[in-house]
Amino acid sequence: MSVEILAPMPGNIVEILVKAGDAVSENDEVIILEAMKMENPIFAPCDGTVKEIKVKEKDSVEADQVLMILE
Amino acid sequence: MIPYLKMDEFGRPLKESQVKRMEENVALAEEVMRGIDAEALRIKEVGIPVEKVHERGEMTVWERIEYLADPGTFCPLHTIFDPEHEESGSTGVVDGLARISGRWCMLIGFNNKWIAGAWIAGQAENNLRVTDIAKIMNLPLVWLVNCSGVKLPEQEKVYANRRGQGTCFFRHAELEKLGIPVLAGIYGTNPAGGGYQGISPTILLAHKNCNIAVGGGGIVGGMSPKGSFDEEGAEDLIEATRHFKSVPPGSVKIHYDETGFFRAVFDEETQVLDALKEYMAGLPAYDPRFFRLARPAEPKYSPSELPYLVSMNPKAGYDFDNVLARLVDSSEHLEFRPGYGPEIYTGLVMIDGFLMGVIGNRQGLLPNYPEYTDEYIGVGGKLYRQGLIKMNEFVTQCGRDRIPIIWFQDTSGIDVGDTAEKAELLGLGQSLIYSIEQTNLPMMLVVLRKGTAAAHYVMGGPTANNNTAFTLGTPATEIYVMHGETAAAASYSRRLVKEKDAGRPLGPVIEKMNEMVEHYHTTSRPVFCAKTGMVDEIVRFEEIRRYLVAFTNGVYQNPRSICPRHHLMLPRLIRFQVVKGLDRPGKEE
Repeated sequence: MSVEILAPMPGNIVEILVKAGDAVSENDEVIILEAMKMENPIFAPCDGTVKEIKVKEKDSVEADQVLMILE
Repeated sequence: MIPYLKMDEFGRPLKESQVKRMEENVALAEEVMRGIDAEALRIKEVGIPVEKVHERGEMTVWERIEYLADPGTFCPLHTIFDPEHEESGSTGVVDGLARISGRWCMLIGFNNKWIAGAWIAGQAENNLRVTDIAKIMNLPLVWLVNCSGVKLPEQEKVYANRRGQGTCFFRHAELEKLGIPVLAGIYGTNPAGGGYQGISPTILLAHKNCNIAVGGGGIVGGMSPKGSFDEEGAEDLIEATRHFKSVPPGSVKIHYDETGFFRAVFDEETQVLDALKEYMAGLPAYDPRFFRLARPAEPKYSPSELPYLVSMNPKAGYDFDNVLARLVDSSEHLEFRPGYGPEIYTGLVMIDGFLMGVIGNRQGLLPNYPEYTDEYIGVGGKLYRQGLIKMNEFVTQCGRDRIPIIWFQDTSGIDVGDTAEKAELLGLGQSLIYSIEQTNLPMMLVVLRKGTAAAHYVMGGPTANNNTAFTLGTPATEIYVMHGETAAAASYSRRLVKEKDAGRPLGPVIEKMNEMVEHYHTTSRPVFCAKTGMVDEIVRFEEIRRYLVAFTNGVYQNPRSICPRHHLMLPRLIRFQVVKGLDRPGKEE
């Protein structure tokens, strides 16, 4: 089952901490999103494998934009 | 074990990827600490060489402290404190928490390498902070007296004033009024101010060569009837000095044999210290088992991992719970009101088996929060309505239960704007100050990273003079009213508009703005914070736990008030929260 990781708010992608194929656990940090003047970690909502990364570093993103897909 | 005191495990192990990613961070933190260590070493080397001290048959103040304190227990404070930019870059005293013969105390000694332990600029403030700590924590104060009196060329900086050197003597008397003894080991020549440093403590233990007196022998020959000096006056003084054989007044012969001020006299320096140890062993102190609620235990996750968690980049988020899990016994806690006021952590922990309250800022994004607006989302580090209410409640309950509090700050301030004003945040911030003041609890603060604006005040800041005993900083600490860029924008935005509208170049204004940003940066770094006293000491992240243990043992040694463990309310209030994230349920568990 695929799980989408969404941007909680508009911001800029500072760093992508994983790559496609990596195994992640629930609450692992996967992306750093700059918003509200802070660099905020985005966490994996569940265990899984990184299927697709939909953004790259320095991208601007909107709220609810899909950042990553886990399976 | 009382059922409602059983704590929950928390914290997570570090991932390898995180360790790798944070290696540069660890190196940055260590670079800052090397700078602090270098300054501490420079201060130690100021003045006469150690060899010369030894030639006189004396020990340095650091050697005396090392001999006196139980091994590994000395927690230095004010190591590089220098609020008045004294010539030596220090305050001329060395102090900290220490355990002596199993009893915790505040320990302070004059640096006899620098002007024979004179009163120098900034020292009064240092001494008063030390008496404050002793008073708040109800700890005995131990002085290693070795004080040549006022640094005469700068008397106006030290002698007079409401918070001058003389204030310390009133503080000694105040401590005694509160039943707190001041013990003194006395060395060297102590005239005038030094005399009062010697006479004002409770128990005076003297080295055979010491003296304490109202005035020094050297003052006797210094009077000139002309009001100034000239060649003739100088020649008279030379003649008088050649023939003047001064034995400093107030020797052991007077103050042991005649007045009896000295309780005992010793031939060797170490014997004075041994006598202090004996007196300390006889001071009242509860056996720790009286107050311990659990066996002491190290955190399950090592404090040495902390530099891998707290970023030196002030913009980077981290998991505060994971930090706290590396500071508290068994990495266990009882969180108070989880889910309510998510930007703030409040909870009960054990430190060395004793119950303590903890309050800290969480970091990270807080979607669908705060509840009073949908114009913006919450971000950790800021304070909002629920967090302020929760802190007020937790502090008040800790006061009722007599649970001392440890604060951890990493805050960018309280939410601002009319929306925040309508949510009463200004009043709730002051309410927190009121709540703290009502408790009469001993507290300590760790500025883990940012201490900003009013949040730095209200969250157990150093301004809580009657409660917060001392403040630690870390390599990541930065303290300022607001970020430098915000200040520059606030200060120069109108000027930019004016210049632009007038068609003039913006460069000069931009330059001033960048100067301000740089100024804010320089005056908020850890070294600056320690030098000016915004924090009492900068410590490595992995050293924080040692200070928490010292503070905890100190405040439970002779607490001024007691709440029996079976009468504690906070653990029961927490344990009614059966499911995390809910407010208190409607019925009892």
